[in-house]
Amino acid sequence: MSNVSLRLAWRNLWRHKRRTWLTVGAMIFSNSLLVFSMSLQFGSYDMMIENTLYGFSGHIQVQHQRYLDEPKMRYALPDVAGTAQDLRDQLKLQSISARASGFALASSNERSFGLQILGVDAQHEPLVSTIPGLVKQGRYLEAGNSGEIVIGSVLARNLKVDLGDEITFIGSGLDASFAAGVVQVVGIFESGIAELDRSMAQINLAYFQAVFSMQQKGHSIAIRVPHIEDVDALLQQAAGLLAGREQVALRDWEALQPGLKQAIQADMTSAWFMYMVLIVLVAFSVLNTQLMSVLERTREFGTMMALGLKPSRLSQLVMIETAMMSSLGLVLGVLIGFAITWYLSIVGFSYPGMEEMAAKFNLPGRMYPSISLVSMMLGPGIVTIGSLLAAIYPALRLYLLLPVEAMRAV
Amino acid sequence: MSTIRCHQLCKTFKQGEEIITGLDHVNIVIEEGEFVCLSGPSGSGKTTLLNAIGGLDTPDSGEIHMGDTRIDQLGKGPLADMRLHHIGFVFQAYNLIPVLSAQENVEFVMQVQGVPAQQRARKARAILKEVGLEGMQDRRPAQLSGGQQQRVAVARAIVSHPDLVLADEPTANLDSVASTHLMKLFAELNQHHRITFVIATHDQRVMGYAKRLIKMQDGKIISDEFQQVQPGEEIEA
Amino acid sequence: MPLSNLPFTVLFTLSWRNLWRNHRRTAIMLGAISVGVWAMIFMTALMRGMVNDMLDQGIRNLPGHIQIYHPDFRDDPSVVNSIPAPSGQLLAVLNQPGTRQWATRIKVPAVIASERDSRGINLLGIEPAREDAITGIGGQIVEGRYLNGVDDKGIVIGAKLAQRLETRLGKRVVIMSQDPENNIRERGFRIVGIYSAKMPGLEEFNVYSARATLQKLLNIDGLVSQIVIVGDDFRDLQDLYQDIRQATPQAFEIKAWYEIDGYLNSMLKMMDGFVLVWIIIIFLALSFGLVNTLMMSVFERVREIGLIQALGMRPGMIVCQILLESLLLLLIGLIIGNSLAILTVKPLESGLDVSMVAEGLAMMGASSTLYPSLTLADMLLANSVVILLGILTSILPAWQAARLDPVQALNTT
Repeated sequence: MSNVSLRLAWRNLWRHKRRTWLTVGAMIFSNSLLVFSMSLQFGSYDMMIENTLYGFSGHIQVQHQRYLDEPKMRYALPDVAGTAQDLRDQLKLQSISARASGFALASSNERSFGLQILGVDAQHEPLVSTIPGLVKQGRYLEAGNSGEIVIGSVLARNLKVDLGDEITFIGSGLDASFAAGVVQVVGIFESGIAELDRSMAQINLAYFQAVFSMQQKGHSIAIRVPHIEDVDALLQQAAGLLAGREQVALRDWEALQPGLKQAIQADMTSAWFMYMVLIVLVAFSVLNTQLMSVLERTREFGTMMALGLKPSRLSQLVMIETAMMSSLGLVLGVLIGFAITWYLSIVGFSYPGMEEMAAKFNLPGRMYPSISLVSMMLGPGIVTIGSLLAAIYPALRLYLLLPVEAMRAV
Repeated sequence: MSTIRCHQLCKTFKQGEEIITGLDHVNIVIEEGEFVCLSGPSGSGKTTLLNAIGGLDTPDSGEIHMGDTRIDQLGKGPLADMRLHHIGFVFQAYNLIPVLSAQENVEFVMQVQGVPAQQRARKARAILKEVGLEGMQDRRPAQLSGGQQQRVAVARAIVSHPDLVLADEPTANLDSVASTHLMKLFAELNQHHRITFVIATHDQRVMGYAKRLIKMQDGKIISDEFQQVQPGEEIEA
Repeated sequence: MPLSNLPFTVLFTLSWRNLWRNHRRTAIMLGAISVGVWAMIFMTALMRGMVNDMLDQGIRNLPGHIQIYHPDFRDDPSVVNSIPAPSGQLLAVLNQPGTRQWATRIKVPAVIASERDSRGINLLGIEPAREDAITGIGGQIVEGRYLNGVDDKGIVIGAKLAQRLETRLGKRVVIMSQDPENNIRERGFRIVGIYSAKMPGLEEFNVYSARATLQKLLNIDGLVSQIVIVGDDFRDLQDLYQDIRQATPQAFEIKAWYEIDGYLNSMLKMMDGFVLVWIIIIFLALSFGLVNTLMMSVFERVREIGLIQALGMRPGMIVCQILLESLLLLLIGLIIGNSLAILTVKPLESGLDVSMVAEGLAMMGASSTLYPSLTLADMLLANSVVILLGILTSILPAWQAARLDPVQALNTT
């Protein structure tokens, strides 16, 4: 590929300014749209995952191997607090929290509700879940205390309790013994997630273990990983540390929240279908332009061949022209896409009806697209590849048929 | 449609950096029914004058009257109407619409005028026969020779009996026989239907048929004479 | 220029034949339009189907189009906030033709205990036949039987719940709840039926018993928690709503489905907007090629356009000719695209299995089978947008063609 070829290709493009610009225009349109869309998409996926996992479940949980499918009291982890501490020391990560869970009938003065009571490690739970931070009235649990409970706002309403009121709960302990306790409401949280606000009640882990005759056992150790990219690495490490233990399983968030991953997958699939349609349409545009360009230059190519150029060289020329158009479309498309996305990443982006929709997926009502190298280059990159592929037919046709046609034309 | 009056027509063109004079204060009057030939070297302005009279091109200054109508100031629309209903054109090259057959080309103007289908078809076939193209009416221009194309163009120019026929080198692609045949047809139309003919040409034989010969050079008329018609040798085909 | 003056036949002939002059170019453009139109309609049918499903599920699970309940019930869904069963004027309104179906139900929080485990549940006391007509619960029974009448002594629980409780069909469970005086009321029930819900979450939570039985247990004879009503069209409830409002005592709360579940409502609105946006985006992607094609066509015909101008075709006619060419291109593309869409959607109408992402869809409120929905309105929208915007886009090349100077055009090499 020589300088001459490049110059020739470039000048050929601009012989028909409008045609070239219209073709490049299609690329710019698609590219900027893709940059914006993918930035929005990836940004919202990340946020969705973060918000949901940080809400309560964490990225990884250590559980009894049967607990995920059958969350029964008896499938418990031995010495849950100790194990959690071990993990904290070995993994050098503080956002690890031990938990236990059991069913109880909770009664206030006026109402009764059956719910799952959670025993949590008050010191470390705030590092794993956002709930402690979302206590709107009162305060969160204090480590070491018994007789305290923190409940969701909807639950508080349903039980007709306020700060300072007492709740009695009755349940069944680990050994099927009678478990009962009286607690005072010290904090009421509001997460905005209906399920949590309606059914979550937390007491201190030690207190839980005492009431439910758990001894040192518990049901899960939740781990929140600061950067989601590190989940796999941490999973490996933790697996190594827990290797010897019987009947212990490590669950990653895909297992803990299958709906989340699937919802993202479903959304991705439909988004990609739409992207592919755009890319195909751009490819059609390129095919048309390049084919016309090749056909109308038959005589000219014939002359060049008479001067000694090989058909393969001429085919190459077509590909170079396409590559130049695509590059132009790529650069301008990415620039414009970047500009739009950057602006919206500051101002925020929302459309009517988005707020209610977003709430369902733990997303804020206003989206701020997040720009990454991938989101900027993936779409335009595929458009470029599609364009080059589209140019193969005209180039090939040129290569195969030119000698015959040229002879006829000249 | 009657007298064509041109008064002090001027037109210049720009070709790159150069300014070319097309018409230089041309004054001319052509009466209804005349048979005029414009001759002169290329660049003399005969095509420009033809285009001006036909309303295809507006002069930079001067006036053109077609009967009572002043046409140098008409808009594109009215000029198109004028050409449609009153003028027949035969261009030097590129006379036919490539996607239409010979008959359809001939019928074209009548179609735009709104002439009913049967009538059009009949007239078209008749005129094609007259110009010697019977049997070729369904061929497209690409399937006809240069001379045949020219004859279709002429057929189209005259089929709707315009008041004025403007022809630019109509015999350029024709052999002697065809040329003679064509000029005889023109002469006949001029005689019997009082169609005014203004023909730009180099061809001596064509000039022989002219009743009035106007010579042009550098955008000016250098001579304007009436003459005897000299039809040239009759060659039986 | 009056349209009646246009020589349509010759314009049409010119347009049609010019289209096929460069059949490769036209074919490729048609290919692009067909793909674009197909994608417009296909995608829209899928989305429409999904939204319909979500709305259907959502309304079934509320349940109903309109609900009547105690004003404090929403904040405090306790048995204390019950209302009397409908009588008098309200009963008359409910039984009139405008109401397709209605039912009363009891809905209280309760605890269910098997031998092995206990759970907090949503206990429903229903009128089996009416409830089934509204929510289709009867058809979801997978083991055993549905409830027979309001006095049935059995209960129906979800498959998942049975699993959690480590119990099964035929076994006894204890149901515990409270009466309006805050006394605990409990009773043993035999599991007579097991159901499987389209939405996994509900199975663990909803337990069905017969209304009269539950009323007796909770000592609330003559009272219910909700009256649920289904009209003819969930989009048009104004009249029904008014009638019910007028017939209902002031104290009661009446809410339509879109007031109870904001998500559903915004979903519907959003979908209409989204469909339009999708159609326009595809059109814009096509428009570059469309303008290009027309401009190339005009460019190749400059001399010819000069000629027909010389022959007397007005500039307006020339604009029409080019627009007609574009219109023909679009129409053929639309026909192919629409046909492709119908051909690809029809076979899927019996349901596309997307159970791979069932939990994800459940999060969004959709079931695990997707039924694409091809509506005339959507197809009309797509076609109209393409034609209207297509003609608009074609105006520029057409106008440029009309503006050509005949003399210069004729002399183009």
